[in-house]
Amino acid sequence: MHDSEGTMRPMHTAIEISGLTKRYGEGDAAVDALKGVDMIVQPGEVVGLIGPSGSGKSTLLKCLGAVIEPTSGRMALAGETIYDNGWKVADLRALRRDSIGFVFQAPYLIPFLDVTDNVALLPMLAGVSNGKARDRAREMLVALDVGHRAQAQVPQLSGGEQQRIAIARALVNQPPIILADEPTAPLDSERALTVIRILNEMAQRFRTAIIVVTHDEKIIPTFRRIYHIRDGRTYEEAGAARAA
Amino acid sequence: MINLAGRDILYGWGKFVFTGVGLGLLVGLTLSMAGIYRGLVDDGRVLLQNGGADLWVVQRDTLGPYAEPSNVRDDAYRALLSVRGVAESGNVTYLTMQIQHQGGDVRVMLVGFQPGHPGEPGYLVAGRPITRSHYEAIADVRTGFRLDERIRIRRHEYTVVGLTRRMVSSGGDPMVFVPLQDAQEVQFLKDNDALVNERARTAANPAFNRPGVPGLLEAVQASQASSRNVNVVMLRLAPHADEAVVAREIRRWKHLEAYTRADMDDILVAKLIATSAKQIFMFLVILAVVSAAIVAFIIYTMTLNKVREIAVLKLIGARNRTIAGMILQQALGLGAIGFIVGKTVATLWAPIFPKYVLLLPGDAVLGAVLVLAICALASIVAIRAALRVDPATAIGG
Repeated sequence: MHDSEGTMRPMHTAIEISGLTKRYGEGDAAVDALKGVDMIVQPGEVVGLIGPSGSGKSTLLKCLGAVIEPTSGRMALAGETIYDNGWKVADLRALRRDSIGFVFQAPYLIPFLDVTDNVALLPMLAGVSNGKARDRAREMLVALDVGHRAQAQVPQLSGGEQQRIAIARALVNQPPIILADEPTAPLDSERALTVIRILNEMAQRFRTAIIVVTHDEKIIPTFRRIYHIRDGRTYEEAGAARAA
Repeated sequence: MINLAGRDILYGWGKFVFTGVGLGLLVGLTLSMAGIYRGLVDDGRVLLQNGGADLWVVQRDTLGPYAEPSNVRDDAYRALLSVRGVAESGNVTYLTMQIQHQGGDVRVMLVGFQPGHPGEPGYLVAGRPITRSHYEAIADVRTGFRLDERIRIRRHEYTVVGLTRRMVSSGGDPMVFVPLQDAQEVQFLKDNDALVNERARTAANPAFNRPGVPGLLEAVQASQASSRNVNVVMLRLAPHADEAVVAREIRRWKHLEAYTRADMDDILVAKLIATSAKQIFMFLVILAVVSAAIVAFIIYTMTLNKVREIAVLKLIGARNRTIAGMILQQALGLGAIGFIVGKTVATLWAPIFPKYVLLLPGDAVLGAVLVLAICALASIVAIRAALRVDPATAIGG
């Protein structure tokens, strides 16, 4: 795998979680949202995370995204332990910026930036010069077949185009993992499948591990591996089982 | 790095500029209030400068002639000229009155003076000085009078022979200068009916109408129908004369009050207009506080409208200082637009004010600094709100 500078990056398990718990509140009001989650995702994999409302999907995503702190357990991203009963990384902001891409249910593009700058913002935040960041953004937009919309303003884009731009933004720093929170929810079937196809292509191309949280029945069959989450615990539905 | 504040401003420039213009009108009002205060002080100082006097001699135990009524006999100047250090004297009367002009009233301060002596208008912008003993006038341009126009003051018509500028009373009324004797007549002479009535009353008084004293009644009546008083005697001192020493001599030996320029400045600025100045200053403070509150509210609202974008920015790794900088720059941008609009409108509407509005460059600079400081302070509330935004809100659930 190559990083943004074109140098070789050693291959590690992209996501490795064991015994992860998260408790909200204390005493009688305490709620255990995660009760010992285990998960392994390899580079280049697109994995589905499925579960009913309140099952702990969003909590797991927020823990993985280093947005909230787990209560206990261990998390490693790209071979680096980031949590082991306490954060092992001092700068979570930099971790999110450099190692994790986010795709949301709605694209949440910055409306006052054009398409190129929406994507280029991430490398710029990482200290890349404006020119290089924009070049990198344009390359990513071309890879996602929206290169012709590079100068467009956000309100001029269709829902599908906006979601592609959001994917380009998530990928532009070439993070080892992407967390996608119901990325196809606002899209029709055709566009939803297109987004999943793009995510699969990008995962293969950039060796990025992608976790897709979804309720969307029409895209569930596209995943090779699925984690079900129920009452704060994950259950893997292996490829073989799915094939059966 | 992209200037996020600039991009956001450009994206919603209409709303931003409109908000800035609204703020600008408020800033313009604040600058105008400062200008009115400065104008008030300047009117008082101009009044002192234009007379060309070093000392003002007035009735004892009064703060005359501007802050309190003062009457001095018009021959007192002879005694004053004998005081060591006094070079010139000039009798002056002041009377605030309404003059009919073009179907309306003009409120003026009528000044009686002796041409060529202290108290005359400092300079003319048109026409000539008064050369005749009676019925000529010099008017401040703000009266609206024109050269060669005939104006009626009480019983007589006066020809406007000269125009001057920035000759106003401490209350801001434009001045009309007439010869001293005319002004004394206007100030002290009664109308015909009152004179007839007064003569009859005096004739009925046996003390003034004694059969054995011919001429007494006529003398008393003549004294009642004329005035030998003025409001102030202005003195110009000889070079190197110490005004404090001369004033002390006059107080001690002439039984009159004498004020130096510094004394008069104190009377005008610290006493006469002090209440008005404090009133305006209070209004100025309230306006500044209201402006700060409005700016804070605007910036806070603008920030709350961007909570989702801020959450995304934080989630994707934007530093707190990047987000704080964006809000601060927008607040300063709003302040800059507000100041430019405010300064422009204050300059444009200043001449429309009936009283003098003095917009000093120093006040404008101070105003700009204060507006930007208020905007920066006002943005703190919004910045705190933005920094409290949880990046997790960008993720559902």
